[in-house]
Amino acid sequence: MRKYDPRWAIVFGANLLLWWLIGLANNYLASSAVHLYAGGLFVVYASLRLDRKHGLIAIVLTGLLIDAVEPVPYGTSLLLLGLVHATLLYGRQRFPREGAVFGIVVALFANLFLVIALSFLLVGANPRPASAWLRIFADLLASQLLLLVITPWFLALQDRAMEMVSIHPETGRRVSL
Amino acid sequence: MLPKRYDQLRPFATLGVILLVWLFVPLVVKTFTRATFFAIQAPLAVADSYVQDLQTFWLTKLHTKEEMWQSGRQVAGLIAQYEFSVQQNKELDAEILRLENLLKLPSMPSFRFEPARVARRDFSGWWQRLIIRKGENYGIPVGAPVVFAGGVVGRVIEVHRYTAVVDLLTSPTFRLAATVSGDNKPISYQGGLNPSFRSPRGTVEFVPLDILASRSAAFSRPEWRSVTSPASNPAPTASSKAVRSPSTSGSAR
Repeated sequence: MRKYDPRWAIVFGANLLLWWLIGLANNYLASSAVHLYAGGLFVVYASLRLDRKHGLIAIVLTGLLIDAVEPVPYGTSLLLLGLVHATLLYGRQRFPREGAVFGIVVALFANLFLVIALSFLLVGANPRPASAWLRIFADLLASQLLLLVITPWFLALQDRAMEMVSIHPETGRRVSL
Repeated sequence: MLPKRYDQLRPFATLGVILLVWLFVPLVVKTFTRATFFAIQAPLAVADSYVQDLQTFWLTKLHTKEEMWQSGRQVAGLIAQYEFSVQQNKELDAEILRLENLLKLPSMPSFRFEPARVARRDFSGWWQRLIIRKGENYGIPVGAPVVFAGGVVGRVIEVHRYTAVVDLLTSPTFRLAATVSGDNKPISYQGGLNPSFRSPRGTVEFVPLDILASRSAAFSRPEWRSVTSPASNPAPTASSKAVRSPSTSGSAR
């Protein structure tokens, strides 16, 4: 075990990168009235591959990062991401969590839960909730399609980053290249 | 050592403890962490805006001298028009001042226009916001109205050191009281109708019966008028916004 363990920092850095890229995409999609949300992807690696401690640190920091920008009560994303993380930790020993396909499935379900939970929280302010839900489902569909494409890349990116620092994501032991 | 079935519940217990601690964290600490996390990612949001500016600069450098000369001529024409408008404005200001003095009227509130570039657009079904590239460093106050050539865009809701967040007119959280020009009865406006692949709209309610919308305005119900927002097509024109902030100290209207 090394003295300084950067696993949480790698995952948090990757989440920050993804957050920036999604924000960039939303900036360009603004005129099309389509919005992408990839919150479900932030929890996948931290929950399935990392150990509990580092996964939790990465999730807490990512939640606070999202909360700092979004107009939601501070701590909302922390709670929602934390809940998804805890659920995945609870059941992760029962699933083939190393595979990308399972990662995609988890990302899709996590994103679905997060979008619906956030919508229930925020849609009440809308003057016409029915039309707001239509828009939310259209955005959700676009987001899920995006997740289908980028989840393998994002998981591989974090795996590769762990390889670069020669560290095993779950045990924290040094691995030889 | 806990039994295995309880050990599996440890993630939920940890989350519970974190949330319990979170509830008792002082507001000052929460405000500080929020500002810190915003500041961590603010350079990212602003950086790509600066990169775009650089891209535009180099794209402009690729134009031929002939094209530049023609553009210069057009700009010169525009400058002449604007100079004439400035003269007219000065005359009108002087006229207003003269009438105020003559009729002993209180002076009208004056505003300072602060042009700012848009760094990031975030238009979802939940909220509609912009991040602009000016903040405390230019004295932007919270609540200042934001306008562009086509009309009102929204208002400033958060001000950070180098950036500010604008809540758009079409955001579900945006609500204000307004009056129709020439009439003093208040009406209510709320954003929030943001269908996919279409222009976002807002809703005007409590419109007096003696006020009618023109044919060009879309009707949903006789007492409701939907108004197309100036932020409906922000991509081509909304690269620059102006924040109206009061020239004197005090809260913005």
